[in-house]
Amino acid sequence: MKSKFCLGLLIIAFIFQGSFLRVEAKQFDYKSPEFKAVASQFACTCGCGQDHYECDPNTCNLTTEFKADLVDMMNKGWDKDKIRKYYVNIYGEEILTSPEKSGFSLTAWVLPFVVLGAAALALFIIIRKWVKKKRTEEPVIEYQNTEDEVEGEILSSMIDEERKKYL
Amino acid sequence: MFLFANATIYIGLAIAIYALLITTLGISTKNQKLINSGKGGLIALFVCAALAMISLFYLLGTSQFQYQYVSDYTSSELPIIYKLTALWAGNAGSLLLWTFFLTLYTIMIAFSRKMKGNPMVPYISAILLANAVFFFFILGFVAKPFLLLDTVPLEGKGLNPMLQNPGMIIHPVTLYLGYVGLAIPFAFAMAALILKNVDDFWIKMTRRWTIIAWLFLSLGNIFGGQWAYVELGWGGYWAWDPVENASFMPWLTATAFLHSVMIQERKNMLKIWNISLIIVSYALTLFGTFLVRSGVLTSVHAFANSNLGLYFLIFMGVAVILALYVLMSRYNLLKRSAGEFQSFVSKESSFLVNNLLLVGAAFAVFWGTIFPLVSEAVRGTKVTVGLPFFNKVEAPILLSMMFVMAVCPMLAWQRSTVKNLRKNFMIPAILAVVGMILMVVLGIQKAWAVIGYGVIILLLITHYLEFYRGVKARRKMTNEKPLVALYRLMIRNRRRYGGYIVHLGIAFITMGIIGSQNYDVETMKTVALGQSIELKDYRLNYERLDQKKEGINDIVYADITVFKNGKRLGTFQPEKVFYGNWDQPSSEVAIISSVKEDLYIVLSAWEDDGKATFVVKINPMMNWLWFGSFMIVIGALFAVWNGKYGNVTPRYTGVRKEVS
Repeated sequence: MKSKFCLGLLIIAFIFQGSFLRVEAKQFDYKSPEFKAVASQFACTCGCGQDHYECDPNTCNLTTEFKADLVDMMNKGWDKDKIRKYYVNIYGEEILTSPEKSGFSLTAWVLPFVVLGAAALALFIIIRKWVKKKRTEEPVIEYQNTEDEVEGEILSSMIDEERKKYL
Repeated sequence: MFLFANATIYIGLAIAIYALLITTLGISTKNQKLINSGKGGLIALFVCAALAMISLFYLLGTSQFQYQYVSDYTSSELPIIYKLTALWAGNAGSLLLWTFFLTLYTIMIAFSRKMKGNPMVPYISAILLANAVFFFFILGFVAKPFLLLDTVPLEGKGLNPMLQNPGMIIHPVTLYLGYVGLAIPFAFAMAALILKNVDDFWIKMTRRWTIIAWLFLSLGNIFGGQWAYVELGWGGYWAWDPVENASFMPWLTATAFLHSVMIQERKNMLKIWNISLIIVSYALTLFGTFLVRSGVLTSVHAFANSNLGLYFLIFMGVAVILALYVLMSRYNLLKRSAGEFQSFVSKESSFLVNNLLLVGAAFAVFWGTIFPLVSEAVRGTKVTVGLPFFNKVEAPILLSMMFVMAVCPMLAWQRSTVKNLRKNFMIPAILAVVGMILMVVLGIQKAWAVIGYGVIILLLITHYLEFYRGVKARRKMTNEKPLVALYRLMIRNRRRYGGYIVHLGIAFITMGIIGSQNYDVETMKTVALGQSIELKDYRLNYERLDQKKEGINDIVYADITVFKNGKRLGTFQPEKVFYGNWDQPSSEVAIISSVKEDLYIVLSAWEDDGKATFVVKINPMMNWLWFGSFMIVIGALFAVWNGKYGNVTPRYTGVRKEVS
């Protein structure tokens, strides 16, 4: 009887322990890297200008619910891309913190590099033209060392200084 | 007081118009008397702007709530310093500050010793006066600082608590000094073009002013970042907010100008490009103001929505069109003196690549900032372009920029041969690669961090070699002691070594950014009294939750004892402040700072049973960022300081006119 009682106590303790664990598990870390990967994709529309990872749940009701929904989805096993798709379907692209990498929004990502590439090419052509022009005019100095250059500059500044002193 | 204060604005407007007209007339009739009258007008204008500032300071300081501006931005219990700084909390006041700086800069130039007898002065004055007319017009008719209310409220609305921080004293002032400062190089460039001056004089004078504006712009951004870090409670310092972008773009183009101008000085090339950079930098300051004041984009910095932005857009359009017209009309003159390059691999080319990357970075920021508007116009879909976009797009461009910065000092002017390259780069490159391998072995394995720090190692070594070779060369000739040689080397070549100090500052800032962006750790936990939170090497014991009153504000604070690796660091108090006259509470964070990292504690929420929620963050290398910022200031000041050597006032050799 005694051993049964002990066993019963143990079982109760075990059950309680489980519930304690569950209470512990309920506390979700909104600042964890996993949550960051998901929540930082979405812009908060409360006017704070932040994403749902940064936005403070204590000053913004909107993000409190949004965060809870995100956690629900994460618990269901949805990955960040699926969650992203889900919200884009409802709210459109505006909900995202950065434009999609498809359709017209792709230009946002690509244009800076296209412009940079085109400018680099233009720069290359211009320098080549200048170099060619120079080469046809006069032979280039074959070797010039930065060390000589530094020495030269120092020397000329010293000469300048002396000149100022005496003249 | 009402009459006096308003008179300062309207008389100011009248004087600005008069001075502009009389100066222009003086220029066209070559009448020195008229020009002198215009110069008198400049002083009167400065006096008007100063009196308007003093009036508003007085009204704010004495809480005269019958004035709309005073009642909108202050309240009687506000500490006096924030009552005064509320001058630039709103549209009208901040534009008044802008106008004041503009008139200040104008008389500094018109009456400077270096510009005495210079025929450019009337032109520069006229261009700056045109700006002043615009600003006085805005103050007089659009954003009026001295409007009276119909009924006198008993109490003002108070100042947004976010603005009640020492950052408010310095950040807007430095930023505006930078913004307005960029109007000066613009005026110099335009004056030179109109006068058909293509000599060295204006470019040397302009560079000085650009460094000054650049320094203030850098300071403005740095103070802004520091303010955001301690005040907003999110643990970051740069959010790529449209308004931050607006001040970053002219910073980038001004930086590009400061480099490419060296080629113009040395090789008499790139004149059109340099003038374009000046025009773009100036236009971008106006564009930034348009963004902040128009409310077309969402931003934490935005002022109350108004049609003010439209005026700025129109003014910017007119200024840019006129500037381009002047530039085009002088195109042949500028083109005529174009020089040549000797080689692909030279300091000259590296400056061009530097320009390409800086302007490319500015374009990327610009494109990202306006893309929501573009998308809405093209597709009717509004999109948000935020932090992830800018981080991804800017990181490779700015990192390449760092690489050019590392390599450039070691390249020779004219031409670097293979032998020369091998000699200069072999050791730094090997050391950088060894450093990168070591990082990977020691556990720093994120690609951006390894590449970034590798480039910075290269940069530090090449810059060290620059100093070392300079000292060695000097010692060879003078036999001075190393430190004496270093000191003399530097003060005799202020610009060059000032620039290198700035480079080192940028390197430290980049190290801080890479560290804090890639290796930050964060957690948010709710704990009961007596419990603790653990994060990496830190243990935070939550010991007490209490409340106190400061003036009309209620402050809830927690006592947290922090241990690092078991060693007690002390007890700290993160707070939440509830304001008597503001709905939103704000967080006062506790920051425990060290060379390695910052521990950042935010009291987020609490319950009746004493349980509290904390956000705890470890931000690595934040102090490196602030130290780098400090070096930038030192370097820029060193470069512009009027020492005994160098920096001699350049001699004006341009076109002579009868009036000056």
